[in-house]
Amino acid sequence: MATINLVDLKKNYGSVPAVKGINLSVKDGELIVLVGPSGCGKSTLLRMVAGLESVTSGRIEIAGRDVVKAEPAERDIAMVFQNYALYPHMTVRGNLEYGLKNRGTPREEIDRRVKEAADILEIGPMLDRKPRQLSGGQRQRVAMGRAIVREPAAFLFDEPLSNLDAKLRVQMRVEIRKLQRRLKTTSLYVTHDQLEAMTLADRLVVMNNGLVEQLGTPTEVYDRPATLFVAGFIGSPPMNLLPVSALDAASGFDILGLPPGTDVVGIRPDHLTLESSDEPSLALPATVELLEPIGGESHLHARLKNGDHAVILSVPGRPEIEEGATITIHVKPADLHPFNRESGRRTDTAVANP
Amino acid sequence: MVENRPFLSFLTHLVLIIGVVLVAFPVYLAFVASTHGEGDFLSGLVPLWPGPHLIENYRLMLTEGISTAGAPPLWIMLSNSLIIAIIIAVGKIAISLLSAYAIVFFKFRFRLIAFWIIFITLMLPVEVRIIPTFKVVADLGLLNSYVGLTLPLIASATATFLFRQFFLTIPDELMEAARVDGAGPMKFFRDILLPLSRTNIAALFVILFIYGWVQYLWPMLVTTDSRYYTVVMGIKRLAATADAEPRWHLVMAAVTLAMLPPVLVVIFMQRLFIKGLVETEK
Repeated sequence: MATINLVDLKKNYGSVPAVKGINLSVKDGELIVLVGPSGCGKSTLLRMVAGLESVTSGRIEIAGRDVVKAEPAERDIAMVFQNYALYPHMTVRGNLEYGLKNRGTPREEIDRRVKEAADILEIGPMLDRKPRQLSGGQRQRVAMGRAIVREPAAFLFDEPLSNLDAKLRVQMRVEIRKLQRRLKTTSLYVTHDQLEAMTLADRLVVMNNGLVEQLGTPTEVYDRPATLFVAGFIGSPPMNLLPVSALDAASGFDILGLPPGTDVVGIRPDHLTLESSDEPSLALPATVELLEPIGGESHLHARLKNGDHAVILSVPGRPEIEEGATITIHVKPADLHPFNRESGRRTDTAVANP
Repeated sequence: MVENRPFLSFLTHLVLIIGVVLVAFPVYLAFVASTHGEGDFLSGLVPLWPGPHLIENYRLMLTEGISTAGAPPLWIMLSNSLIIAIIIAVGKIAISLLSAYAIVFFKFRFRLIAFWIIFITLMLPVEVRIIPTFKVVADLGLLNSYVGLTLPLIASATATFLFRQFFLTIPDELMEAARVDGAGPMKFFRDILLPLSRTNIAALFVILFIYGWVQYLWPMLVTTDSRYYTVVMGIKRLAATADAEPRWHLVMAAVTLAMLPPVLVVIFMQRLFIKGLVETEK
């Protein structure tokens, strides 16, 4: 149980800045997900918190204690690695016990914690096996178990699910979420998978180029992306980003009243519809290029008549539309996200952003 | 390549059998010779079947040796060889494990230079540096001692290089996990790196034991006291008798005995050796 505070944290590799000044405070028991494209500094940030990477400048406080100069073992954290990093020559039990033994935990206490972790993770029957006799999912559980037995102030997860297959990943995602809720341990979780980020996070930190782009709950980030980068990164299929000039000829444009400075408009694929509604909406003529049925919904790739811009629509069911047909796309004014290309930010309200 | 052609498999087997015979025949001949009596080998006809003097010859060599050739009893030379081979193998493994650990897992100044200096010594085998090494050993007063026999042979780059390559395959996360688990550098080395290197150590031990056992030139140079003779150089002394025919039957008994320990090491360590190749613990 602890808070984590990062104050103006920076990391340079030689003259190359990797993390350019991060401020973040993680509340007690909260699960914060760091998400961003590869090379955005999210893993570096996590490793700095873990103590595996030196800090160029700034402060890291775990449970109110400045730990910048502390060894990883002294920080009261536990880390789950992407490739599990289980000790191959030790049994599962040995793997769980190793950290506790190094700390001089009494034998009965070790046994109690190992049993508890094994019960939580349902790895009891595997305690005497070696890691190589386990499947990927089981190894992942053991890696989690190694973190749990420590009963640390904070869990650090470094892309723990990326080595699993898709089905198992969903399953383990749910388990991690349940586990974290149950143990109420402050957690930092790094991933590049936005679905994982959206479903796991209490709050989401979207990172790009060593900086925080936006910090907020998953719904906040999805509903009101603060920057063009977040708008394009979160959401699948990605948000359509169109220059204002693509819309200005459409009927209903004059009622929009876009904020001053707006030159790019973002529209979620599911906010573009084929049927007009009762509310006033913008009507955009377009040509269908490709229809991708993906089960419950279909992705419609179209090209706007005005300005030749490609857009993606996410429509329910399987509409009977020929490729090459002309359609009219409707969008409600409230569903438009106005941005300024120059600053990369929203233009409608000042979004509080670190 | 799996092919089902009778002629081809006949041919490959034939080649293999010829190879085995070529290698094994001299060994067999040495053994046969060691079972015959005095003079049987000087008659011009080489006997191809074992003779009746096996126990007699071996007992003579083990307990008394050939004093006229200046060779001590064989058991002294055998135990010398054994001690030297084990010291060399263990010493080399210990030193190279530690130096490879330093080079791979620690980031210190001149790390790369240190590695290259070690690597360059690969170009300087014992024979090349033998005169200066002899001078140093002699000045340190280490002639006729186990230290003098083994120390110059222990320092080598081969094993360091092999361990370095193995350590490089160990994922960084393993060390990081150990750090988070509160294991310091020596604890990580002892608890995780050593057990993981077990099979590599076994394989290297086999190779280095034999390397130590067959040393000839260096023991020859630094020993003048027969108490420190090794068996490989002793054989040379047995065969080079002045003004007399070598007593081949006894020399061959010595040869057979000298061959035995490396063979035993290979046979018994082979299981570990193969286990190391088959079971990758990663």
